[in-house]
Amino acid sequence: MNKMLADKKTIFIFTMPCLLFFGLIAFYPVLQTGIKSFYDWDGLTGGTFVGIDNYIKLFQDKLFARSFKNGLLVAGVLVLLQVIVGLFLTLLLLDKRIKCKKFIKTSFFIPVVLSVTAVCQLWSSILNPEIGLINRVLEMLGSSYQQDWLSDKSIAIFVIAFVNAWQYMGYEFVIMYSSANAIPSEYIEASSIDGASRWQTNFRIIIPMMKDTLRTCLIFAVTGGFNIYAQMQLLTQGGPGTATYSLTYMTFRSAFKLRKYGYGCTVAVVLILQCLCALMLINTLLSNKEEEGKRRWRKRSVQ
Amino acid sequence: MEKKKRSMNRVNLPATVILVAFALLSLYPIIYLGFYSLKTNDEIFYSNPFGLPLHPQWINYVKAVTTFDVLTYFKNSVLTTAASLAGIFVLVLPFSYAVARMRWKLKGLASMFISIGLFIPLQVSLIPLSVLIKDLGMADTYGALILPYIAFNLAFPFMILSVSFRALPTELEEAAFIDGASVYRTFLSIMVPLVKPAISSAMLFSALGIWNEYILPTVLISSNKLKTLPAGLASFVGQHSTNWGAMGAAMMLASIPTIILYLCFSEKIENSLTIGGAVKG
Repeated sequence: MNKMLADKKTIFIFTMPCLLFFGLIAFYPVLQTGIKSFYDWDGLTGGTFVGIDNYIKLFQDKLFARSFKNGLLVAGVLVLLQVIVGLFLTLLLLDKRIKCKKFIKTSFFIPVVLSVTAVCQLWSSILNPEIGLINRVLEMLGSSYQQDWLSDKSIAIFVIAFVNAWQYMGYEFVIMYSSANAIPSEYIEASSIDGASRWQTNFRIIIPMMKDTLRTCLIFAVTGGFNIYAQMQLLTQGGPGTATYSLTYMTFRSAFKLRKYGYGCTVAVVLILQCLCALMLINTLLSNKEEEGKRRWRKRSVQ
Repeated sequence: MEKKKRSMNRVNLPATVILVAFALLSLYPIIYLGFYSLKTNDEIFYSNPFGLPLHPQWINYVKAVTTFDVLTYFKNSVLTTAASLAGIFVLVLPFSYAVARMRWKLKGLASMFISIGLFIPLQVSLIPLSVLIKDLGMADTYGALILPYIAFNLAFPFMILSVSFRALPTELEEAAFIDGASVYRTFLSIMVPLVKPAISSAMLFSALGIWNEYILPTVLISSNKLKTLPAGLASFVGQHSTNWGAMGAAMMLASIPTIILYLCFSEKIENSLTIGGAVKG
């Protein structure tokens, strides 16, 4: 038995294809992204090593500043709509006195399974300035306010963020709801017997117990915002002008439009670093609070 | 207590209203798309933009199929998704089994290596990946999609499968080996059938992701007849923007399979998503 499960040849046959395949197609390109970010590279030859020139150029590039800022804006909108509004809806749905729960949950989730192309086409018809649903509704309500939603420099990026948030809100919602639902009902009952109001229970019991899930959702929302791409490509092509560029959009444009593969890799590296920083920041912020809470609790229990 | 019970039975109306309003916000745009896929341009623009289609224009669907190549894209999506799933499980089943149940020194390292896949966004490796695909002679073939889809979807099935393999009792293998079965035989005809639920969870999760993946076909596929739905549909959004009804019909055709898949397996999909969420965080 032991011999059979420790047979080197079998283990080799079972694991090598998977490891090699992953190494070549997924891992090697990521390493290459890091290496080529120091090269002047057109994707055809090996390229020439230029040290940190690409990075210097990048930090002086106005387009980079705008793309970076747009990533932060989108992440902000996603945190607000997916995590905060999503959490609010989760807490509402936990109430036993809510009817048609299944319908509500399913409706939230359906946009998640749609193709991003269909979603963007759908929203670009809703947002269309002449015949779109939103402007028609405004018209019917007697308002003369009409907006060319995707051509306005200052709001286009928020509209894009909204479309992304609309589609993926259900994803985070399902994660949060099933985590909240898994909290033993004794905790909630105990606090209501102690005379806590519903919202006190929510803030003192349920939200603290969902902290790991909330951290996951926060990470999803923030990195999702930094990585946003398809909506730019499908709704605005980065426009008007360059108002809705994101780092991913800039990566692809540098490489596949301008043939600056090395520069594109540099942007990608900054994108990874940005995501890593956000990840560490979220982790330290949320775990520090826990430590603090514990400390406070310990103090209290000593007294 | 009596009073409390009664209030529990009542409906929390304000909360229900808020939740249903949000549910409609999620649902109505899709219904709107479904409606306008059955309308004429005149209805969409002027006479009846919001309501039910009064004279359903099924011809829009015929037009979507005949003029927009929707069927080609559909076929490509089915083909790449199926081939990718096959590839994923051919690679990941033996790997997960070896990590979960066999005895070797480097398995911690190997499992960590594959798990990196959970944290690599496709975007970040795309530039070198596109060059690699070209060097492999795969540019503008199904392989340009299938190979990366397999590689980038190994980590999550591995997570789910290794947990399931680990949960099986060791007596199963002992009995099989005593009966003279080889490791291969035991693996294929005893162990794999026992982790079927995990396989189907992982399969649904990967299938949805691959079916809707937008970036690779737009970047790596240039010939129209090899494009999958997300990229194919995007390519005629600009070209045929005058015929809204038919475009809506094409979008509906692309969306219906995943909606049906979700409605049939909603619990399973939601569960696998929550596992995925927990793992990624």
